[in-house]
Amino acid sequence: MVDNMETKKILIPLLFIILAIFPPFFLSQYWLHVMIISLFYVMMASSWNLIAGYTGQVSFAHAAFSGVGAYVSGMLAVNLGTSPWLGILIGATVAALLGLGLGFLCIRMGGIYLSLTTLGFSEILRIIITNEDQWTRGTMGLQVPGFFVEYSKASYYYLFLIVAILFLILIYWIIHSEMGLSFRAVLNDELAASSSGIDTIRVRISAFTISSAMAGMAGGLYGHYLMLITPDIPSLGQMFLVLAMAVIGGMGSFIGPVVGAFGLEILSEYIRIYGEYHVLIFGLVALAVARFAPEGMVGIIKRRWKKGGFS
Amino acid sequence: MSEFLMYLTNGVVMGVINAISAIGVSLIVGIMKVVNFAHGELYIFAGYFSYHLSVSLGLSPLLAMPLSVFFIFLLGILMERTLIRPTYGDEMYSLIITFVLSIVLQNAALLIFGPYPNKPPNLLSGATNIFGLFHYGNQRLLSFGLSICILLSIFYLIKKTWFGKSVRAISQDRGMASLVGVNHLKINMVSFGLGAALAGTAGVLIAPIFPVTPTGSSAISLTAFVVVVLGGMGSLKGCVIGGLVLGILENMGAAYISTMYRHIFGFIILILVLVFRPWGLFGQKA
Repeated sequence: MVDNMETKKILIPLLFIILAIFPPFFLSQYWLHVMIISLFYVMMASSWNLIAGYTGQVSFAHAAFSGVGAYVSGMLAVNLGTSPWLGILIGATVAALLGLGLGFLCIRMGGIYLSLTTLGFSEILRIIITNEDQWTRGTMGLQVPGFFVEYSKASYYYLFLIVAILFLILIYWIIHSEMGLSFRAVLNDELAASSSGIDTIRVRISAFTISSAMAGMAGGLYGHYLMLITPDIPSLGQMFLVLAMAVIGGMGSFIGPVVGAFGLEILSEYIRIYGEYHVLIFGLVALAVARFAPEGMVGIIKRRWKKGGFS
Repeated sequence: MSEFLMYLTNGVVMGVINAISAIGVSLIVGIMKVVNFAHGELYIFAGYFSYHLSVSLGLSPLLAMPLSVFFIFLLGILMERTLIRPTYGDEMYSLIITFVLSIVLQNAALLIFGPYPNKPPNLLSGATNIFGLFHYGNQRLLSFGLSICILLSIFYLIKKTWFGKSVRAISQDRGMASLVGVNHLKINMVSFGLGAALAGTAGVLIAPIFPVTPTGSSAISLTAFVVVVLGGMGSLKGCVIGGLVLGILENMGAAYISTMYRHIFGFIILILVLVFRPWGLFGQKA
């Protein structure tokens, strides 16, 4: 029985990975683009879920960190001719350091302070990017080179797929490691966790730093794929979308944000005709889910499944 | 010199309005440990309500202002009953829900009111000469006077009335407060409405001076948050001093350093407070 479960745990993801190889062979360029963007949101929503879902810290700077990654890598490429491959690593490092700094300042004061300060950080970053247009090209957007000499959507699809899978493996590994155990201990009962010798603050700061680095890396990839970096990447609108994907998919579950990212990105292609209403619709759905089904879609499906199994 | 005094006066006027808005946030944080990220949107809605009540419906601005604040109070009560109440004790969900709510309200404002700045009519026109030094707009003086009266009534409400005593009892010890007969659910609801109404009050006071836009709401929320952290979470006095400090610094900074970076001064203060005195000027060191 245990063996069966263990093999299932490896076989099902493997099956999905094998299936994920095929889309470039039959999808149109347009839908391949949608898949690439969805994979970007998988990275974003899953890494946000690592801190929010697993340690209960609500950061509003996740999109801002992805913007840091994108702009650092983009400006290096434009001004110094740095290769985007190196650029995204530097971008992720800068995002990690900023995350470490903010985390260090706020987390010891409690979750409310982190949320307030990260919101402020997002807003300030937006102001700086729009005003320092000699460096960032402001709202016009910064044109940057891509990863590949020969542009092909399929190469980008595989690149995003590989990085998204690596992120997911890393996140899975973290939440099932000793560190993940202490994450959950901190989430369930902070007092009990700290009295049993877990340094709750250090655990939270490390989670926040890792998650910020992932956002920075994802943002760098996204920027060099679009080849145009705009202040929309670090905007609160983007932050909302990432948050809505995690919440609607299911926070605190490994697969929830993945489901949410694909679901919302594909759905938004269909409701694009309603223009401005689509943010409003996602917002209302996210509110309803957070209010009535805090475990998200994945939680609802799991509960149904169990009920069905017993009857 | 007279220029300097004018910027200072602007800072003080903005400061007292900041204080009213920040007390709205602080009241809710103090009692419920909930940060209302939709604070700025309530402020903006109040500004638009007072514009439409007075311009589109032709009410007197004197009637439109309190009526708008009353609508925002009802909106706050509605929010508390439907969305916030089930999250008590779960800080993470209350943060997420009020953030999503802020995005929803911001987009709703864009759809309902449009993206353009709107400015309700002035109650007073002209300017008054201040001590023979400079001329200052009467509307601003009126907003300032009203703000002072409102601040005094809030202090009276919290320090002297039964409601205020229950509020303070709950912020200190919720369990004990309910033991001695304070109905904390009712107090929560009314306080949330009151917090919203204070956002609305700041909105209707500022709108005739600086027109409101739906996209300006996050900067308004942030200003209020910075003031609350600077003053110390849950401290009324802190909100007033913090509001004045931020109002003056922002106006001086905008005048002498850079207008575009106006809102950055607030963030710098926030970081400095977190580094050197994270419990704020008048907060309690945990």
